[in-house]
Amino acid sequence: MLRFIAQRLLTAIPVLFVVILITFTLIRLAPGGPFDQERRVPQVVLETLNKRYNLDDPVHVQFFNYLGNLLKGDFGPSFKYPTRTVTEMISTGLPVTLELGFYALLFAMCIGIASGVVAALRPNSLQDYVPMSLAMAGICLPSFVLGPLLILIFGIGLNALPISGWNATPGDKILPAITLGAAYAAYVARLTRGGMLEVLSQDYIRTARAKGLSPLRILTHHALRGGLAPVVSFAGPAAAMLLSGSFVVETVFQVPGLGRFYLQAAFNRDYTMILGTTIFFATLIIIFNLLADILLVWLNPKLRENMLKS
Amino acid sequence: MSLLNVKNLRTSFYTREGQTLAVDDVSFSLNKGEVLGIVGESGSGKSVACYSLLGLVPSPPGKIEGGSAIFDGKDLLKLNEKALRAYRGNRIAMIFQDPMTSLNPFMRVGDQLIEALRCHNKTLSKKAAKEKALSALEEVGINNARERIDSYPHEFSGGMRQRVMIAMALVTEPELIIADEPTTALDVTVQKQILQLLKDLQASHDLAVIFITHDLGVVADMAKHILVMKNGRVVEEGSPADIFENCSHPYTRKLIAAIPQSAKPDEFKYDSSHEDFVEAKNVVTHFNNTRGLFRQRIVSTVKAVDDISLNIREGEIFGLVGESGSGKSTFGRSLIRLVESQAGDIRIGKHRIRELGNTSLREARRDFQMIFQDPYASLNPRMTVFDTLAEPLLLHKLAKKNEVLERVNHLMDEVGLERKHIRKYPHEFSGGQRQRIAIARALAVEPRFIVADEPVSALDVTIQAQILDLLLKLAKKHQLTMLFISHDLSVVRYLCDRVAVMQHGKIVEIEETEKLFLSPQQPYTQKLLSAIPRIHTN
Amino acid sequence: MSELIQELQQYEKGRSLWQDAFRRLRKNKLAMFGMAVLSIIVVLALLTPWIAPYSYEQQDLYLGATPPSAEHWFGTDVFGRDQLTRMLYGSRISLMVGLVATSVALLIGVLWGTIAGFFGGRVDAIMMRLVDILYALPFAIFIILLTVVFGRSMLLLFLAIGAVEWLTMARIVRGQVVSLRRQEFIEAAVAMGLTRWQIMQKHLIPNVLGPIIIYTTLTIPSVILLESFLSFLGLGIQPPQSSWGSLIKAGVETMEEYPWLLIYPGILLSLTLFSLNFLGDGLRDALDPRASQD
Repeated sequence: MLRFIAQRLLTAIPVLFVVILITFTLIRLAPGGPFDQERRVPQVVLETLNKRYNLDDPVHVQFFNYLGNLLKGDFGPSFKYPTRTVTEMISTGLPVTLELGFYALLFAMCIGIASGVVAALRPNSLQDYVPMSLAMAGICLPSFVLGPLLILIFGIGLNALPISGWNATPGDKILPAITLGAAYAAYVARLTRGGMLEVLSQDYIRTARAKGLSPLRILTHHALRGGLAPVVSFAGPAAAMLLSGSFVVETVFQVPGLGRFYLQAAFNRDYTMILGTTIFFATLIIIFNLLADILLVWLNPKLRENMLKS
Repeated sequence: MSLLNVKNLRTSFYTREGQTLAVDDVSFSLNKGEVLGIVGESGSGKSVACYSLLGLVPSPPGKIEGGSAIFDGKDLLKLNEKALRAYRGNRIAMIFQDPMTSLNPFMRVGDQLIEALRCHNKTLSKKAAKEKALSALEEVGINNARERIDSYPHEFSGGMRQRVMIAMALVTEPELIIADEPTTALDVTVQKQILQLLKDLQASHDLAVIFITHDLGVVADMAKHILVMKNGRVVEEGSPADIFENCSHPYTRKLIAAIPQSAKPDEFKYDSSHEDFVEAKNVVTHFNNTRGLFRQRIVSTVKAVDDISLNIREGEIFGLVGESGSGKSTFGRSLIRLVESQAGDIRIGKHRIRELGNTSLREARRDFQMIFQDPYASLNPRMTVFDTLAEPLLLHKLAKKNEVLERVNHLMDEVGLERKHIRKYPHEFSGGQRQRIAIARALAVEPRFIVADEPVSALDVTIQAQILDLLLKLAKKHQLTMLFISHDLSVVRYLCDRVAVMQHGKIVEIEETEKLFLSPQQPYTQKLLSAIPRIHTN
Repeated sequence: MSELIQELQQYEKGRSLWQDAFRRLRKNKLAMFGMAVLSIIVVLALLTPWIAPYSYEQQDLYLGATPPSAEHWFGTDVFGRDQLTRMLYGSRISLMVGLVATSVALLIGVLWGTIAGFFGGRVDAIMMRLVDILYALPFAIFIILLTVVFGRSMLLLFLAIGAVEWLTMARIVRGQVVSLRRQEFIEAAVAMGLTRWQIMQKHLIPNVLGPIIIYTTLTIPSVILLESFLSFLGLGIQPPQSSWGSLIKAGVETMEEYPWLLIYPGILLSLTLFSLNFLGDGLRDALDPRASQD
């Protein structure tokens, strides 16, 4: 198992390297320098700035310098806010985004798995149609429509929940988490239903019934493990989904998270900030995929044994 | 008083096409310690009847329409789900066909046994349950059960897995065991062991057993009473002796006749003075198991065909028998280069197969064809019969466009299909009919040599007999040379002139069919032959 | 050949799997509803230049934002532009992005998946490992990066979205091809002496067409969603042009005062997504080979 994890980690490193290389090159290819302003900056100032940020070195030197700094956890200074470093900005935004993501995930998993299971137990009945229609709604109501709608209804209409901020008023995390988690919950519900239906039609479920087990025990001890496999393998892409979803949610609900910093950086053409956050996001997502892979193997004794053999 | 008394059981299925009665007025009874055999082909309702007793028919679409099933004074059909659960796996246990899929792959076998015990006896401690599970595993012949109890199902071989399944049924000390085709998925030699085990356990525990099978031979010397089912109805019942000697229903007669007992009919025997048509010398086919990110690392090599030489004479039907994994299919495919072999020399007629280039190989293919096992998978589902049969004719330019229809019609006649069906699609035909289409496709190019890979093993026994006779007739008419690959020795005996027995990629014995069956020389051949279920009648 | 066809007509006709599937699809009310709604939206979008009540950039600053009325069915925005007109023009752009980007994805994905699946072995391993790697990348972020670097152009949007969506298509097609390749009828075609190209053309492609159709139908909504997402963030379609996403963005900015500016485009987007998904699910049920086996 350890060897399998090590092998996967080793393949993740070149991927990450390529990501950094592509991002770096793209940023360098960008038309216009980072200090292009509406007012022309005097040549002298520009040169000092370039010198200060080592922009006059050859590109490959810059790249390896950057890589070296990355290894030390230093993403470099922000071009736009010279007093702040990218690392600082990531470390203030990250906890917020992670917390938001965690609540969204929790919401999505609880609701998604529960309704998927309920639907799979009686396919093509009301018990199936209701949660699956809701799931369809979750997929077809994108977060940038759902979020504002929730604000209109619960915030402004009913005046029941706070509609912006983070950690400022009690309950201000509810709407963002639901908005972010809804689509994800919908996907999880559909995947759970599909996986459960597949497993429930297997011969070994019939064996379990022939043994006289109760439906609840069959569900918890025999069906769930195989049925949730599609959900587990969805965890990787889901991480990416959650991150991009956080851009919208953090904008709509004015949450001071990493997503909002990234968008600001994108609008300001704050290259080091974009570079840093992109690399950071990529790492995060690769780690999530890795975890999902490991979990999938760990859950399946046959795969586990194959891994041990190789 | 009988242990189980089933009266007028009726179960139907509701599908898009409407209602079908899968079990139509079935009655039977059996006493403690008795074995009842239920015999029928697929769709006869034999399994559904038994699943109905325990409420295991999925509903919807299934529904029990009526009847009664008195087990020890209680009507099982009237019990609610919860009360029925107290019987399932406790007093009435089941054994299923495919132990690979019927055991939970995610759960240790010990836990699966313990779970069966503890769900019916809540006071039983985990430790006591484990001891019971251990002794059950030992009883069914699992060596060092104490270690194996923590293994997962995939760590056992097929036969061992079925033993685990039997232990799981036995562990709760039931009074009745329903065994649904318990040996069908197994090789003959393993089947024999499992049948013996079941017989021993039945006697030592004084068990009542309902044995469901498609194979009369399997239950013949075990059951006290046999039901023959067709289309949901019992068409005949009686003791094995009654069934075999004085059966009255034509279907039963057909079933018995379908068990090929006899040697190859004389009129179809080949002329042994003919020259060799197919020659294979030292053929070797290996498969590499690769691993790694880009499958660049070879971790092991399977010697599927390991240095095989044999000759087939013109007009001969040559049998190749072996158990699963013996390499017989791979050899057949290597001969006609559907699989590339690594070494050896192959000649079919005038073609030196291994030396042909791509284009000449494609042209040569009209001289040798293949018939596949699964008629559901061997026809393109999106092509009509006409398209399927016209394709080879046009490809090898054997017919002009205006002659194609005539030729296709002729092929339909040859394989016994009605001409009017040529615009239909494969899914509109039964399994036997599809196999006929596949045979017609192989014959379309007028080949000299045919490799038939288990062409009847996916079919019901009565259909098997028809297809075998068709093959015999066509082979004689067109003077075909054939390599007939099968795991079924009786089929091979009926069809083949000579037989080769394969094991682990090598040929164990080659002999004239009757000589091989009457006096096998090699121990493995003897073991195989003794494993054929035989019908002992007085 | 025509004589042959004529002669063949005299025989009993079979039902092909396509006909079966179509019959099942027609019975599926949700899918038919989806198809109807989609047709209406597509027709309206096509006819926009002729049926739009106003010009899409015609401003009326004195009017400002007004709620729905007889002159402006869906109201006007803060610049006094007719919301219905803007939604109609937005549909054109959103649907076009959906179609073009899906075609890009379709083209790359089908080719990639077929080649990998058909050749198998190391070719397959290398090609699919690449897909795995790309799959693990945060693509929304990369698209944002691209729009930052190369400016916000429509062409870039098409290419970028298409480049993301082909991955799943390649995986699906490859899976289908691999499972088909193991089927005996493909082996039978080899045994008959057909060339690889003939096998692909006559036996492989007709059998993977079903899954491709299903997945294409399901790709369009996710492409539309992605475009709206980018436009909502201000990185996609730029004013004065509008897409559903940019209309929603504008709506959100003023939703407390003028909720109709958010609600109508939101409904239109969701309705389209619903319809496409219903149709996709319906096609899946209708074309699923497992369902047609019985």
